[in-house]
Amino acid sequence: MKILVVLRMIPDSAGELELTSDGRGIDREWLDFQLNDFDDHALEEAILLKEAVGATVVAVAIGEGSNRVLQMAVARGADEAVALEAEGDGIIESRAIASSIVALARSKAADLVLCGVQSTEDLFGQLVPYAGTLLGWPHVSGSSRLGIEGSALRVTQERGGGIAATYEIALPAVIGVQTASKAPRYVSGSKLREASKTAIGKAPSEPAGFERSAEIVALRLPGQRGTGENLGDNPENVAERLASILAAKGFAGV
Amino acid sequence: MRIVACTEGSFGKLEPFSLEMIAAARGAGVAGDEVVAFFAGQELEPAIANLGAADRLVAASAGNAELIAAESYARLLRDTVAAEEPDLVLVPYSANGLDVAGDLAARTGWPLVSYVNEIRRDGDRLTVVAQVYGGKILAECSVPLPAILMVNPGAFAEAERRSVDPSKLQHSDATAVVAEGKVRLVGVDVPSYDSVDLTTAERIVCVGRGIGDEASIDIARGLADILGAEIAGSRPVVDSGWLPKVRQVGKSGQKVKPKLYLALGVSGAPEHLEGMSKSDLIIAVNTDPKAPIFNVAHFGATCDLFDLVANLSERLQAASGR
Ligand SMILES: Cc1cc2nc3c(=O)[nH]c(=O)nc-3n(C[C@H](O)[C@H](O)[C@H](O)COP(=O)(O)OP(=O)(O)OC[C@H]3O[C@@H](n4cnc5c(N)ncnc54)[C@H](O)[C@@H]3O)c2cc1C
Ligand SMILES: Nc1ncnc2c1ncn2[C@@H]1O[C@H](COP(=O)(O)O)[C@@H](O)[C@H]1O
Repeated sequence: MKILVVLRMIPDSAGELELTSDGRGIDREWLDFQLNDFDDHALEEAILLKEAVGATVVAVAIGEGSNRVLQMAVARGADEAVALEAEGDGIIESRAIASSIVALARSKAADLVLCGVQSTEDLFGQLVPYAGTLLGWPHVSGSSRLGIEGSALRVTQERGGGIAATYEIALPAVIGVQTASKAPRYVSGSKLREASKTAIGKAPSEPAGFERSAEIVALRLPGQRGTGENLGDNPENVAERLASILAAKGFAGV
Repeated sequence: MRIVACTEGSFGKLEPFSLEMIAAARGAGVAGDEVVAFFAGQELEPAIANLGAADRLVAASAGNAELIAAESYARLLRDTVAAEEPDLVLVPYSANGLDVAGDLAARTGWPLVSYVNEIRRDGDRLTVVAQVYGGKILAECSVPLPAILMVNPGAFAEAERRSVDPSKLQHSDATAVVAEGKVRLVGVDVPSYDSVDLTTAERIVCVGRGIGDEASIDIARGLADILGAEIAGSRPVVDSGWLPKVRQVGKSGQKVKPKLYLALGVSGAPEHLEGMSKSDLIIAVNTDPKAPIFNVAHFGATCDLFDLVANLSERLQAASGR
């Protein structure tokens, strides 16, 4: 089995996000880029499958800092690393990169494409259904467990309310991983150093298969929606206020 | 304009966001527009009993699908879209919707915008507001029609629940479509609420990734005990195995509405807010003043959660020991 796993580098949204002067993008100059969380789980699930049933894992990364993440992927067990050239340095649009992923899946003869279920940049739709539909392969988003049963893939998908559905799918398929079956592993420094010698392949970006979905008129920071009161940042003052708020509302002293 | 509003339900219940899709469709259009509700699932009764606010209901029943796979749902929706030729299709941002919206967009080539909170008609286009970067940025987009929008649950009020007039129902049997699918349902897991049912809890202390590690959960648990609250977690906390799945709040966890919700180190991603934003009293502690949790909090503090919990626990304990 050949697994292609897609690793997207996205701005760290826990950090400060500032808008560009035209208001249509975020200022990327000082941004920290990190691996999309869900893609990290996709990588882990790929390695777990490899360990369970044997597979070749090809990691493809897109965006700033790709090489570093590809080395990490190899240190964790990926067999091959490919950096996909992205157009420009703006949002990684799933709708636009889907055709590149599809071309790679074909040229690498992949049986299974794993991506994170979404990225925080998937404004114009998710990579999984685009890639799956373009390939003509079944696709399932939001997996929390993957396994191989005979020649078929077993996918557990999370629904609301903690309900989980398990589906069986004949390969090839595209899966959007939400959570790997086990938490992503750590890699030792020595493995990382060893992996830093790995040759990283390059793949050109293919023309997007679709028209651009929409025009971003403006980005803005959400205004404070509620009438919430800011209690400040001094823990003693905050604790004092909260203690009296909780008491007044009948929550303290039970 | 004709708008197809996608709805969902299973185990005899309609997902409440189905009614929000009808309301969103009504709000997106103008008087005289037609709103067609689309439903696919095992039992039609919940759809028929509740979706009367739409002008019509197109429903496909699949007796062989306890939880219809998105693949089958998407194929049935495609047939409906081909027949109805709508100008706009609204898909809920759900596990199913994630696959369905993109599938339809890829096959039609129509534009798709995800995580939509607001929809306005602007001549022959739509202006929509969508959330990106975990809710930290709002993107205002201009979208040509026909278009597909994936709409956030909770962004629109529910349309009125009333039953569908039999003359407004178009029903088909989807058993064959499901049977032909490449994605076959082999099992459904329903969580056991023997240990705890957060949906009925009156007080919840929820920890997010800001708690840092498993051992620190005990610190929050201590405060929860003092408050007589249940402990809960955001998705990363549960994914890390620090709390059991039944204690996850949010989109793929429990939807809660306690009298008190204390969020510690939770950023407030849309998927988390979906599960708790209707709580009576929300108190949030997060060092990042821009964290979206503060958009729904009644009281917010930007101090370190560990300092706060230590301080507050001490005070509450002293007060109760009086
Ligand atoms: C289909 C779907 C369903 C989902 N369902 C749910 C759900 O049911 N419930 C839910 O909660 N979420 C859900 N999510 C996930 C959601 O999008 C968010 O990822 C999640 O809510 C974030 O949790 P958090 O606030 O605890 O962590 P966040 O704060 O959002 O993220 C972690 C950040 O913490 C920072 N950090 C780490 N250590 C420290 C430290 N010591 N001090 C300061 N900062 C630090 C890191 O830089 C990192 O960026 C779902 C997502 C999808 C796609
Ligand atoms: N010790 C802390 N006290 C209060 N808030 C925190 C603390 N650590 C992290 N946070 C916030 O909690 C959210 C999730 O935590 P983290 O992902 O670990 O940063 C983020 O928005 C942080 O800003």
